[in-house]
Amino acid sequence: MTATGTITLESVTKHFPGGVVAVDNLSLEVQPGEFLVLVGPSGCGKTTALRMVAGLEPVTDGQIRINDRVVTRLPPRDRDIAMVFQNYALYAHMTVRNNMAFGLKMARMPKDEIRRRVDEAAMMLGLTELLNRKPRQLSGGQRQRVAMGRAIVREPSAFLMDEPLSNLDAKLRVEMRGEIIRVQRRIAAPTLYVTHDQTEAMTMGDRVAILRDGLLQQLGTPDQVYDRPVNAFVAGFIGSPSMNLLPAGLEADGDGCAISVGGARLAAPKLLEQRPALRGYLGKPVTLGIRPEDFGADGEDGEIEVTVARLESLGSELVAYLAPAGMAADTLLTARLERRAALTEGSATRVNVDVDRLYFFDPESGAALT
Amino acid sequence: MTTTLGMRVLKALAVTLIVVWSLAPIVLGVTTSLSTQREVNEGPSHWFPHHPTTQAYRALIGGTTGEHSGGTVTQRGEFVQSMWVSAELALLSASLTLVVATMAAYAFGRLRFRFGGFLLAVLVGTMVVPIFVVVIALFKLMANAHLIDTKKGLVLVFVATLTPLATWLLYTQVREMPAEPEEAALIDGCRRWQAFVRVVIPQMSSGIAAVAAILALSVWGEFLIPLLLTQTQNAKPVTVLITEYVGKYTTNYPILAAGGVLALIPPALLALALNKRITGMLAGS
Amino acid sequence: MPGRWNREGDRSARETQILGWILVVPAMAAVSALILYPLVKGFQQSIQSGGILFGELPGYVGTRNYRDVLNDPTSRDAMRHTLEYVLLAVSLELVLGIFVAVTLHRVFRGRGFVLAVLILPWALPSVVSGVLWRRVFDPDNGLLNSVLLHLHIINQPHVWLASGRGAIVYITLVHVWGVLPLISLIFLAGLQSVPDEVYSASAVDGAGPWRQFRYITLPLLRPSMAIALTVGTLLAISIFDEIYVLNGTALNTRSILIQVYNTTFVEADFAHGTALAFVLAAVTAVLGGFYALALRRSTV
Repeated sequence: MTATGTITLESVTKHFPGGVVAVDNLSLEVQPGEFLVLVGPSGCGKTTALRMVAGLEPVTDGQIRINDRVVTRLPPRDRDIAMVFQNYALYAHMTVRNNMAFGLKMARMPKDEIRRRVDEAAMMLGLTELLNRKPRQLSGGQRQRVAMGRAIVREPSAFLMDEPLSNLDAKLRVEMRGEIIRVQRRIAAPTLYVTHDQTEAMTMGDRVAILRDGLLQQLGTPDQVYDRPVNAFVAGFIGSPSMNLLPAGLEADGDGCAISVGGARLAAPKLLEQRPALRGYLGKPVTLGIRPEDFGADGEDGEIEVTVARLESLGSELVAYLAPAGMAADTLLTARLERRAALTEGSATRVNVDVDRLYFFDPESGAALT
Repeated sequence: MTTTLGMRVLKALAVTLIVVWSLAPIVLGVTTSLSTQREVNEGPSHWFPHHPTTQAYRALIGGTTGEHSGGTVTQRGEFVQSMWVSAELALLSASLTLVVATMAAYAFGRLRFRFGGFLLAVLVGTMVVPIFVVVIALFKLMANAHLIDTKKGLVLVFVATLTPLATWLLYTQVREMPAEPEEAALIDGCRRWQAFVRVVIPQMSSGIAAVAAILALSVWGEFLIPLLLTQTQNAKPVTVLITEYVGKYTTNYPILAAGGVLALIPPALLALALNKRITGMLAGS
Repeated sequence: MPGRWNREGDRSARETQILGWILVVPAMAAVSALILYPLVKGFQQSIQSGGILFGELPGYVGTRNYRDVLNDPTSRDAMRHTLEYVLLAVSLELVLGIFVAVTLHRVFRGRGFVLAVLILPWALPSVVSGVLWRRVFDPDNGLLNSVLLHLHIINQPHVWLASGRGAIVYITLVHVWGVLPLISLIFLAGLQSVPDEVYSASAVDGAGPWRQFRYITLPLLRPSMAIALTVGTLLAISIFDEIYVLNGTALNTRSILIQVYNTTFVEADFAHGTALAFVLAAVTAVLGGFYALALRRSTV
């Protein structure tokens, strides 16, 4: 199928009675065939935004367009969309086949066309043997596939998915992730996918939109949001284990500067050239971001003194929780190190960081300083 | 938790007690209905009739006169007619109430509309009004509308008095049901009312069955309202008819007991058949 | 452009509003016409005089009927009896209800059968219950007399339903027989909401069954008790059917509703009858309020 169709949100806002602003001026566009993930912590407004696109929640302000057709005030049935719910929302009293055929029957499609589409979708999803069963006879994963089948047969202009994998166990989740992507590529309709799990966002999305408290923080490809987070929240949200965020200071050091963090002092001669925005922060505090994988445990050459608080061996790598010297008690750095790193719990050692791979944020606004 | 032998014995005793307590009067009624008036007078050794007979049932259904039956007069066919009346009233009232209550419960539970909360409070609030208070004034109203002593009139009154309870029971059901299947139906192309009929009502089906049973049982057992609003056999349910068999001075027990037994068979069967659903619903409210 | 779409209302919201109204109209209409409207008319009647039939000029008499009714000795007896019914019935129901609920709480072989049997007394018309129990209390042929005579505990047949206190007790017994299943189910539901782990933990801590009952079960049943109390009271306060079948309108067992029935339909005094009925209505309204409160607290 050729990819057509877009989902457009323009300044969409949602006020709930009582003053809660669930979605604040959200604008984004899902390109034809694109899989766009809306991600953020609970309560960030992602589900509300999705429901507004679906027509299940009235819009306070803004416009929603599907394929450039304005749908903001239309009931769900007139929007030519399909949705997969977190709890599958299957029709319990109907067979799998009838579940999938329901939408087509409501559209008064001829019986043989319905049959053809249902059979095709069932084959795509491996549901052919289950067509005559009722939902209560199916496992969670099977139900999820029926929910997807129901959405696919409609051949809608847009797909909406509301945390469809949250109710599955970990292993099934990984399996279904691939399944969903595979199906979406074949259908090639623009898809808006909501989740709170940043791993899902990063592995599935063509682009990722991070929301917090109703506001869009950043919209970009997974690589973009990972390598160039626009603020400290995004930096801390994306990536697992999350980025270490520490208070630090910038001091002038000859022509360049040095970063003081805790008791350590890191020389960064080229820093001000690479990141001009930092010039305004000399002598002032900044928030320093270090990704766990950017630590190196080279023993004596390290610049930061730490005590190893805890080690978690994951087999393929080591996750070390390090207490840096000179920082507030309880501060722990998370570091992903090579398996061979010779560390023991409780011992003192030194680690170093790649200065070129450090992140800086304004301590009050959280904005990235580049 | 391990139980000692003593505890198990106690429990068995308690269970037996409960079963005996629940069934004894019914069993007694059955045995009495199979006796003759004379046996009844003989005393405890004749609790279980030495010569069981269906004489009482025949008298009840076939009719008898005062002198032969120790004070209780029955007309031929009267009792059977009352049973039919009770059944019709129960079925009609339960069905109509269900229709009305299901619609209202869905509207209150799912749809957001103005004054919804207020109307629900009013509806449920009427449950505290003892029916008596209403029936007195209702009497005049219904007399004017020529509805006294008619089945139609009774059904109307029953529907009005049972709707609040039925709506409340179904409303709590609707609130506990997930809303997503209905939303999926809306996305699949349904208008609101279509989603209601094709998805929500099937979702509610077990609750509807339980409420239907409770309604039917309530109407079958209704006494006060029909007592006041009926005069002739036209619309007299079995509950009212039975009290007429209690003679002023003496009573023919076997006939009375036979009446009681026949009158309890339909509700007993219904209660036994839908037992699980009913207990579920009652416990939930 | 943003800002132009400030109205929350749109087509589906309007559809919802209209549908909502249509769906509740039948229920509200039925209730308004056949309950609320008569209620108002009935109240009107309670503040009017009895009219010519009673040798009075027709017209409004304010609270006279109410005062008459509250001062009338027969009515007061009826109120006293009703209070006795309520106190006795509710105490029995609470104790027996908890007993039944505790016994049937844990699954055991035949539990389904017991539950089915348990419901029967509630499912039967209370008139029929009265008929069945009448066999027990009848002075001439009743069971109780036969047994007691046979065992020589008494010398002549006792007229159970005529002796003041006793009659009330027996009628209450019949009433409780019919109501107990409902009360037991309320407690049973309350028990089910106590998670098993609490009992296991206490067993590990050394508590035996009686202690567990006193310190865990009982306190956690408090919300159920509130519900059971209100339901039981509401049902007992409007007791009618059982009394009518067992003892008719005899003075020694009159409840408020029997008194209302007698006043209104036997003496044809609608004015005083409705006044007394409204007194009862006021009390039940207050109780209904408690029920709503109790419900809210138990669904926390």
